Amino acid sequence: MNVTVNGVAHEIESAPLTPLLDVLREEFGITGPKAGCHQGGCGACTVLVDGEPRRSCLLPAAYADGGEITTVEGLGTPEELAPVQQAFVHHYAAQCGFCTSGMMLAAHAYVVGGGTDDTEAIQKALGGHVCRCTGYAKIIEAVAAAARGDSFDLSETAVGRYTTMTTGGAE
Amino acid sequence: MKVVGARIPRYDGIAHVTGRTMYVDDVRIPGTLWVKALRSPHHHAGISKLDTRPAEELQGVHAVVTWQDVPHLVYGHLEALGIPADEPLLAKDEVRYKGQPIALVAAESEELAAEAVSRIEIELEERPALLDVRQAFDADAPEIHQWGNWYPHFEGEMDRRQIRKGSIEWAFESADTIVQGVYRPAAIEHAPVETQVCQVVPEPSGRLTIYSCTQALYFSMGVVAAHLQVPLNKLKVIGGTTGGGFGGKVDTATETMCCLLAMKSGKPVKWRWTREEEFLCSSTRAPWHMEIADAVTKDGWILGRKMLTLHDAGAYARFSPYGLTKHSFHHTGAYTIPNLEFDGYVVFTNRVPTTAMRGFGVTSVSFATETHMSRIAKVLDLDPIEIRLKNANRVGDTSPNGVVYTDPSTVSTIQAIAEATGRELPASYRTMTSEQREGEWLPEHLVAQLGNPEDH
Repeated sequence: MNVTVNGVAHEIESAPLTPLLDVLREEFGITGPKAGCHQGGCGACTVLVDGEPRRSCLLPAAYADGGEITTVEGLGTPEELAPVQQAFVHHYAAQCGFCTSGMMLAAHAYVVGGGTDDTEAIQKALGGHVCRCTGYAKIIEAVAAAARGDSFDLSETAVGRYTTMTTGGAE
Repeated sequence: MKVVGARIPRYDGIAHVTGRTMYVDDVRIPGTLWVKALRSPHHHAGISKLDTRPAEELQGVHAVVTWQDVPHLVYGHLEALGIPADEPLLAKDEVRYKGQPIALVAAESEELAAEAVSRIEIELEERPALLDVRQAFDADAPEIHQWGNWYPHFEGEMDRRQIRKGSIEWAFESADTIVQGVYRPAAIEHAPVETQVCQVVPEPSGRLTIYSCTQALYFSMGVVAAHLQVPLNKLKVIGGTTGGGFGGKVDTATETMCCLLAMKSGKPVKWRWTREEEFLCSSTRAPWHMEIADAVTKDGWILGRKMLTLHDAGAYARFSPYGLTKHSFHHTGAYTIPNLEFDGYVVFTNRVPTTAMRGFGVTSVSFATETHMSRIAKVLDLDPIEIRLKNANRVGDTSPNGVVYTDPSTVSTIQAIAEATGRELPASYRTMTSEQREGEWLPEHLVAQLGNPEDH
């Protein structure tokens, strides 16, 4: 079995019924997708398979054979964030961050699929993604902003080597 | 205010959205063994036989540990604060909750570790379980704890957290009405999306590197060191990245046991709980049983409160005495009641040990007191906002444990609620401030409780 993950070709050595999540994390060492429940209940393991959001914990490796997989690592880089990634940073939509990987891919698929900033539509698109920090309001704000095509100045909300911060948080 | 309402840069936002944040389960150490636990299938049972040899004989199993491998088996989470210990790291003669760990296996795969666990020979004699705090005091209740069915070690070896203030007799004699209520919020599982997980690496130097998802790193360090009887400089704990905790990652759930397996096998080990284990065996917010009887006047003053609280600790004390103490200090809520009789018990049951969750011990009592305030208003046919403002904490009022309030915010908060909900308040309530009581807001019964805010 073969898959392309974030543009890189991989051969799968795991058994055909191994969950794709375990192939990604344990065989390939790609740790962006998270194991929250291993039973399709939380959405933290979501990846794109041929552009469609899928729960990788429930997907047998054989199903992904020949497919193109995108994990959160392939969506954008710290140097060049995808629009939904910028929106999540700007709107503080990540709290502990553990559900964020899955949220990013569901949100990205929604936005590139022509989704609007309609709250109900966003709730439907991200339904089943559990954020136990309960930051749903901020997450919906962020997806709406990305859907509208808002632009963001991340120097306000992010600090680190990839931002152009000129002032610190404290005086 | 510099921070409230301002946009503050956060250091981990970009790492979170790009999947670069390294959680414990993302750490990759070659040659890591996987851990699985033999857990109690019963709420309460005696252990009459435990033979781990069939597990040890399995190819690919590198270590099995039981209570015999723990240098200091019984250590309490609050022992450093003088609260004695009651919980063994691994069960010895008995199990007191379903899911309590008895033995642990480290093997070359998760499946193999699970297979080894299933080969451990164990014989258990099931005993009657106590699952409802209200039955703990019954003469025929099963005895489930070495200290009795409730915690007996509050200061002065008292068996309850007790608060006495003013004269409860005077309050109940002077009342127009007594308003009673019973409040019973249920247990809540924190259910962080990241389950309990730990990776331990035995270093050539003899130190142990512990990758922990704990919410309380230095605290866990002390607990591990105490169980292992090693100095702190033998432990290098890497933490600070937690995939949700909400209080459920305050108790040291996995670190010590992983250290024992790493020491015994000489190899790195990792223990990642399944979602099922998380629900079955991890600590929860406690269920609480609260009974309130308030002595009130017909115009809405609360003269006195009698309260009984039963805090369900689950099978072991852990932080519960501390949680109940916080609870007791807040048992009048955001309101000033000058005459008090509070008795709170930490009750043991055969449930998972309970712990902190978002306002440890206080959320429960806030639920009870706020519901009770509305009940009083209903019984007296008074406005629920006005009755809250009338009894609200003001500068110079004193808390149940005698703290003088210097900057209480009840009045402004309740006024904001009134405004947000479009409720018209009479002028005297609309213009009320948190300043020291006087005039109509300082009735005779609130004079003696006043303290001097300058002293605090």
